[in-house]
Amino acid sequence: MLLEGLELAKSFGGLTALRGVSFQLSPREVVGLIGPNGSGKTTLFNLISGVFPPDAGKVFLEREEITGLKPYQICRKGIGRTFQIVRPFLKMTCLENVLVGMVGTSGGNGPRQARQEQAMAELKFVGLSQWANRMAGDLTLIQKKQLEMARALATRPKVLLLDEVLAGLNPSEVLQALELIEEVRTRRGITVFWVEHVMGAIMKACDRVIVLDQGQKISEGSPEEVVSDPAVIRAYLGESDA
Amino acid sequence: MYLTNGLVMGVINAISAIGVSLIVGIMRVVNFAHGELYIFAGYFSYQLSTVLGLPPMLSMVLAVIIVFLAGLVVERTLIRPTYGDEMYSLIITFMLSIILQNAALLIFGPYPTKPPALVSGATNLLGLFHYGNQRLLSFFLALAVLGLVMYLIRSTWFGKSMRAVSQDRGMAAMVGVDHLRVNMISFGLGSALAATAGVIIAPIFPVTPTGSAAVSLTAFVVVVLGGMGSLKGCVVGGLILGIIENLGAAYISTDYRQVFGFLILIGVLVMRPWGLFGQRT
Amino acid sequence: MRLVGLALIIGGAVLPPFVLNQYWLHVAIISLFYVMMASSWNLIAGYTGQVSFAHAAFAGVGAYASGMLALYAGVHPAVGVMAGTLLAGILGAALGGLCIRMGGIYLSLTTLGFSEILRIIITNEEQWTRGTMGLQVPGLFTHYSKTSYYFLFLGVALALLLLMRWILNSDMGLAFRAVLNDELAAATSGIHTVRVRLLAFTVSSAMAGMAGALYGHYLMLITPDIPSLGQMFLVLAMAVIGGMGSFAGPIVGAFVLEVLSEYIRIYGEYHVLLFGLVALVIARFAPEGIAGVASRSGWKR
Repeated sequence: MLLEGLELAKSFGGLTALRGVSFQLSPREVVGLIGPNGSGKTTLFNLISGVFPPDAGKVFLEREEITGLKPYQICRKGIGRTFQIVRPFLKMTCLENVLVGMVGTSGGNGPRQARQEQAMAELKFVGLSQWANRMAGDLTLIQKKQLEMARALATRPKVLLLDEVLAGLNPSEVLQALELIEEVRTRRGITVFWVEHVMGAIMKACDRVIVLDQGQKISEGSPEEVVSDPAVIRAYLGESDA
Repeated sequence: MYLTNGLVMGVINAISAIGVSLIVGIMRVVNFAHGELYIFAGYFSYQLSTVLGLPPMLSMVLAVIIVFLAGLVVERTLIRPTYGDEMYSLIITFMLSIILQNAALLIFGPYPTKPPALVSGATNLLGLFHYGNQRLLSFFLALAVLGLVMYLIRSTWFGKSMRAVSQDRGMAAMVGVDHLRVNMISFGLGSALAATAGVIIAPIFPVTPTGSAAVSLTAFVVVVLGGMGSLKGCVVGGLILGIIENLGAAYISTDYRQVFGFLILIGVLVMRPWGLFGQRT
Repeated sequence: MRLVGLALIIGGAVLPPFVLNQYWLHVAIISLFYVMMASSWNLIAGYTGQVSFAHAAFAGVGAYASGMLALYAGVHPAVGVMAGTLLAGILGAALGGLCIRMGGIYLSLTTLGFSEILRIIITNEEQWTRGTMGLQVPGLFTHYSKTSYYFLFLGVALALLLLMRWILNSDMGLAFRAVLNDELAAATSGIHTVRVRLLAFTVSSAMAGMAGALYGHYLMLITPDIPSLGQMFLVLAMAVIGGMGSFAGPIVGAFVLEVLSEYIRIYGEYHVLLFGLVALVIARFAPEGIAGVASRSGWKR
């Protein structure tokens, strides 16, 4: 078992965002995390990646506890992430963006030349080779997402957290992204934990799906199982009623 | 006696602070030029009443209006394009404050000026000591303004729009609030409040161009202490600071008077950055 | 082409004591002081995004520490300069540590408060610092010579610039810029953001301290003007007008503004107002400053 969360809870002021959520991820899995708006998905990601500590509960990576560690420490342990609203380093070149990912982690040591080549390899993997020396700010939305992915991959993660990576992409771009994610799993052997609203993608690409609603896990299983689970249907339909 | 001074200054601080808090809360911009607007208003009030011979009350109101309009213009031209980039808006308002300060030096000269007091004489306060009438008047005026502002923000439609924008700009826009206009008017209001504080204080303590930095800093300390975005905080913070500064200056040391404020500022920022009543982000 | 440029630069650097009169040599020395100040400020503000208003205060710390050591403890000014630099660096680290969890506005306000506290303490402790009357301190050379001071300042400025260049081109430099662009993304990409910010603060304030100490011993009179917000503004204006976030920007800005202010001074003390206006316009319309505009039109950076 690769990544495990145990009874995680988090509140903000009077608002309970997460309540007793547990999960387990195995190597080379693609697991989707879905739920209506406000169900706590991004909060869970923030907890895992160390943006803030949980009020209760623990997180384990390869059986080692990482609860409450700082973001850079968690990254170095092997968890990479992308953001809901894409956040590349706009005033740096694509190559530099990827190099940053290597500087902080184990990929960072070694002669300059070797690192540049490694960074170029990451850019090639996501399909941005020709843009290596262009400013990240000049990229289109999907390119920025690809760059974020490359940067995260450069940190040599064991688990990759993707936060609504398909938002804002047109159908052909969605297909492109799905291919890339599958490559991440098969060619790089990385487990992907994926928050998404685009249901079609989840159905096609995920081995397993976890469903959150109002801070609690209400369902878990294969995409087909989850989609026909009455509790899940209620959660989504109930929301659109209001 | 010092306590009363503290109270008076406190209420005035509160007004000044709300001016800053408004702009910070709604626009995420710290208006470094706050003190300069305060001073300019004092000068306008003086010019209008002494040079033009208008009745003091009217000059005060006019001075505030002038600064309000100036605030609108500043927002539109200078601040608006820097949205989202905190660093640049900081630098721009800092530049603005230096420019205004030097402009004031050049135009008005370095000598302290004092618009005429509205009332004179002193009243015996609770049979304990005599206290200047002008100060008392300022105190009540300030309270009145405070009340007005709180009412405006709580109950009017505009006030509600402002609060909506400060809490969630996107949602506010979706609900139909013209957030750009709200920004502009907020900046104007923030400036106007600085001006109000300035004109109320001017008959007591004369205004000088070099005093503007102290004013801005005091306002910032109050906002941080009370909590950014909290009106209640500005009032309480303003009072606390006013009292501590006056008591401290009286009993500990006058030279280090300003240091108290800064120590409070740093202390709060390090230990409890959201102040007394602010929201934990 | 490159050789010509290099020759020009070397010539420009070495010639002044031989071609300029004493007044303009003095201006050159002052410009070098500002080059050190503006460049080191750029390190925290332009490269890691922490807009600190305490920079001039650290120069003041360096100046007063060095001056007082030389005056009261009979220490050779050179040692004093080292001590001043060290003290400024330590205080810088302290301030940086205080501000660790703060962003933009709060950080700037804290540095402002810190700066003012330092200045007030300096002004008030008159028995040691002579307050506004100024502290008279010995110079760095037994025989006063502007030429000596010029080459000293030139040497130190070059050394500091080289140090900065080395840092910025290294991995740490990448980390700096990552933190500037997006601190959270940098952290989740494995950058030790706390260490980056502290390092920037420490190095930059130590440099300011050194610059201030040298300046104090050159003028041989140290006043609370050095750690004032007015000085802070000048340094900021130089960095902004020259171009924050670029290496050459603050250097250009320092020279240009210092020389300009000498010309303007002939007409009156308008230079602050003027610089403020220009800086405002540049910040609003051309945030990359002179250097940015120049590099965009194809000049060598």
